Amino acid sequence: MKVNPLEPMKAKITEIETMTEIEKLITIKLHDREYAESFSYTPGQFVTLGVMGVGEAPISICTAQNDELELEFCIRNAGRVTNAIHKLKVGDTVWGRGPYGNGFPMDVYEGNDLLLIAGGLGIAPIRGVLQYALQNREKYGDISVLYGVRCYDLMLFKDDMLDYFRNGDRHGVKFYLSYEDKEDQVCYGLACERDDRCMHGMVTDLFKKIDRPSKKTYAIIGGPPIMYKFTIMQLEKLNFRPERVYMTLERRMRCGVGQCGHCIVGTGKSIKYVCKDGPVFTLWDAMNTKGMI
Amino acid sequence: MLVKVLAKSSFSSFVGALGDYGDLYAPVKTSEKVHSFKEIESLTDIDLSYTRTMIPPKKFFIHPEEVIFEFNIDEELYIEPPGGDERIVLFGVHSCDINALNLLAKVFTEELPDKYYLERKERSFIVGVSCVPDEYCFCHSTGTSYAQEGFELFLHDIGDSYFVRVGSLKGHEFIATHPSLFEAAEQSHYDSFKDAERKMYASFTNELEMAGLQDLLDMAYESEVWTEYGDKCLGCGSCNLVCPRCRCYDVEDHINLDLNTGERVRKWYSCMLSEHGLVAGGHNFRPTARERIRNRFNCKGSLREDMPNCVGCGRCTVFCPAEIDYVEVMKKVRGDLK
Ligand SMILES: Cc1cc2nc3c(=O)[nH]c(=O)nc-3n(C[C@H](O)[C@H](O)[C@H](O)COP(=O)(O)OP(=O)(O)OC[C@H]3O[C@@H](n4cnc5c(N)ncnc54)[C@H](O)[C@@H]3O)c2cc1C
Ligand code: SF4
Ligand code: SF4
Ligand code: FES
Repeated sequence: MKVNPLEPMKAKITEIETMTEIEKLITIKLHDREYAESFSYTPGQFVTLGVMGVGEAPISICTAQNDELELEFCIRNAGRVTNAIHKLKVGDTVWGRGPYGNGFPMDVYEGNDLLLIAGGLGIAPIRGVLQYALQNREKYGDISVLYGVRCYDLMLFKDDMLDYFRNGDRHGVKFYLSYEDKEDQVCYGLACERDDRCMHGMVTDLFKKIDRPSKKTYAIIGGPPIMYKFTIMQLEKLNFRPERVYMTLERRMRCGVGQCGHCIVGTGKSIKYVCKDGPVFTLWDAMNTKGMI
Repeated sequence: MLVKVLAKSSFSSFVGALGDYGDLYAPVKTSEKVHSFKEIESLTDIDLSYTRTMIPPKKFFIHPEEVIFEFNIDEELYIEPPGGDERIVLFGVHSCDINALNLLAKVFTEELPDKYYLERKERSFIVGVSCVPDEYCFCHSTGTSYAQEGFELFLHDIGDSYFVRVGSLKGHEFIATHPSLFEAAEQSHYDSFKDAERKMYASFTNELEMAGLQDLLDMAYESEVWTEYGDKCLGCGSCNLVCPRCRCYDVEDHINLDLNTGERVRKWYSCMLSEHGLVAGGHNFRPTARERIRNRFNCKGSLREDMPNCVGCGRCTVFCPAEIDYVEVMKKVRGDLK
C-alpha cells in the first residue's frame, strides 16, 4: 500500500478515444488492486496524472464512481505533460496520485434541482456530476444541463452529449446546447431538430430557453475563467443565493496537497489553496475571497 | 518546563558534548554582511552575536533542491532515495526562526505528513539562543520573539551563565547524560532571565501593529500600494528564498543520458517569478509584479485564515536589492504611512 503520499501509483491505459484534434478520452486502470478498490472519489475531484521522466499535471476525473475500477480523463494537449500523455498507446503505463480536492458535495444537493452549466473543458468535471446524479436519479429533482461549444468538431463526449440531447427525457435530464460558430452545419441541424433545446450563441444565451429555476436549485458551473463572470451575472438576475452556486476552478498546481503554494488565492483574510480547499467553491466563497474569479 | 543553568565557563564542554549527538551547525560570519549556518570545525568559528543568517534554517529540513524520487522507466519504478542517517545539531537558532520552523511543520507534517521533513526533524537537535534585535527585527510585533516549543534546549544569556529551558525529551536526555555541565536554577537565575527578556523586549526600534492586519490587507486589495512597490520590484525572488516561512516549491523530472533513469527533484520556488501563476493556454493568474507582490504580502498576512505567515525576522527587507521594506509596505496598507 501507499506509504509516501507523493509517490505516483502505476496505472495502465485500457482505452483511448480521440475526441477532437486536441482532446483525448483516456481510460486507465490502477495496477495495485488494493489501491484501486480503496480509490473512492466524488465528481469534481482530480488526479495528478504523470508520465515518468516528463512530469505530472492535475486532471479532473470525468466519471462518477463505478464498479469497473476504471477512471476516465478528458485530456487536452496543452503542454509538456499532456502532450506526452497524448503520445501513449493502449497498454502503456501512466502514473497517478490522488484523488485530490474536495469535489462537488453531491449529498448537499440531494432533494434539490440541479442546473449544470459547462463550457469548453469544463464539461469534464460536470460530466461526473451528471453521471452521479443520473445513477442516483431518485435523490434529485429536475436536472438541466446547459452546455456551450464553439463548434461541433470541438464538442467533447459527443456520444454522451447527443444521447442526453436527443433522449434526455428518458434519462431524466433536460439538455440544452449552444454553439458559437454560425456556419456550423451540424449544430444548425441540431437546432432545427429541437429549437427549444439548441441555439446559436454563448452558453449564457441558453438562459433564455430554460424555465425559471425553482428556489431549491443548485447551479453548478465548470468552464474557463471568463465564463464564470457572465454565468454568475445571469444567475444573480435569477436571484440565486450565493451559497447555491458552485464552481470548479483551475490554477497552476504542482503538489495537489497544499504544500507547494502555486494554487494560492485570496487575501490575508481569506487565503485558500485551490488544490485542497477546492477546486470546488461556492459563489459565497468567491465573494469573500478576492481574486478567486 | 524544566529549567537548568549552564555556566559560561562550561561553554566549550557543552558545545563539545553537542557534537556527540551529530554534525554541529552554527552561525558563522562568511562575509561583511552575511552570516550562515555552517558545519563547525572549531569553536572559534561560531559567532553567537549574529543578528540573522541570510538563508534561514529551513534549508536543513526542506533542502533548496532535493531528489524526492529516483525512477527507472524500463523497470517502471519510482524509488524513494535512501533517507540518510546523519544526525544534526543546529546550535544558536533564534526564536523567530524556531517559530518559523514550527509553522513550516504545519505545512509539511499536518494533513499529509511529508516523510522527508519528518525524518530530518527526527534526526535533529535544535539549540536556541537569545538575541539582541537590530533596526530590522520586528518579531515582538508578530508574537514570535519568544519560542515556547520547537527546540531541545534554549539558552538565554544572563551574564555569567545561560538560563537553559528544556523543550523536549531529547533535550532532557542530553542534560541527564551530561549532569556535570548543568546546575539547578535558583530564584536569582529566574530573576536575571526575566530581566534579560524585559531588556530585549524594550530594545526593539522597529514595530508593526498587527491587530486587524488581515482585514486591512483584504480592504487594500485594489490599493495603489501594490502598483507603487510592484514598479520597484525586480522580480528576483530573493525575498522568498531568504524567508524562513516561504515554502513554495517546484517539481521537475530530470532524465539521465541513458534516457531510462532519472530523478524527480523538488526545489525552492518563488511566487515573485512570473511563471508562478501561469497555466496551460498562457493564462496567468498573477500576470504583473503588482499582482505578485500583492499576493506575497497577503500570503504573509496569513498562512491559513488564522495565522500570520511572517515571523518578523527582517530578512526580506535586508536582502531586497530594490530596498523594499516589509514593514513600510504593511504600514502603508494600514494607512499609517502615506
Ligand atoms: C483541478 C484541475 C483540473 C483540471 N482538469 C483538467 C482536465 O480534466 N483536462 C485537461 O485537459 N486539463 C485539465 N486541467 C488543466 C491541466 O492541468 C493543464 O492543462 C496541465 O497542467 C498542463 O500541463 P502540461 O505539462 O501539459 O503543460 P505545461 O508544459 O506545464 O505548459 C502548458 C502551458 O503553460 C505555460 N507554462 C507552463 N510551465 C511553464 C514554464 N515553466 N515557463 C513558461 N510557461 C509555462 C505555457 O503557456 C505552456 O504552453 C486541470 C487543471 C486543474 C488545476
Ligand atoms: S527581493 Fe525585492 S526585488 Fe526581489 S522579488 Fe522580492 S521584493 Fe522584488
Ligand atoms: S516576510 Fe520577511 S520579515 Fe517576515 S518572516 Fe519572511 S523574511 Fe522574515
Ligand atoms: S498545488 Fe501545491 S499547494 Fe496547491
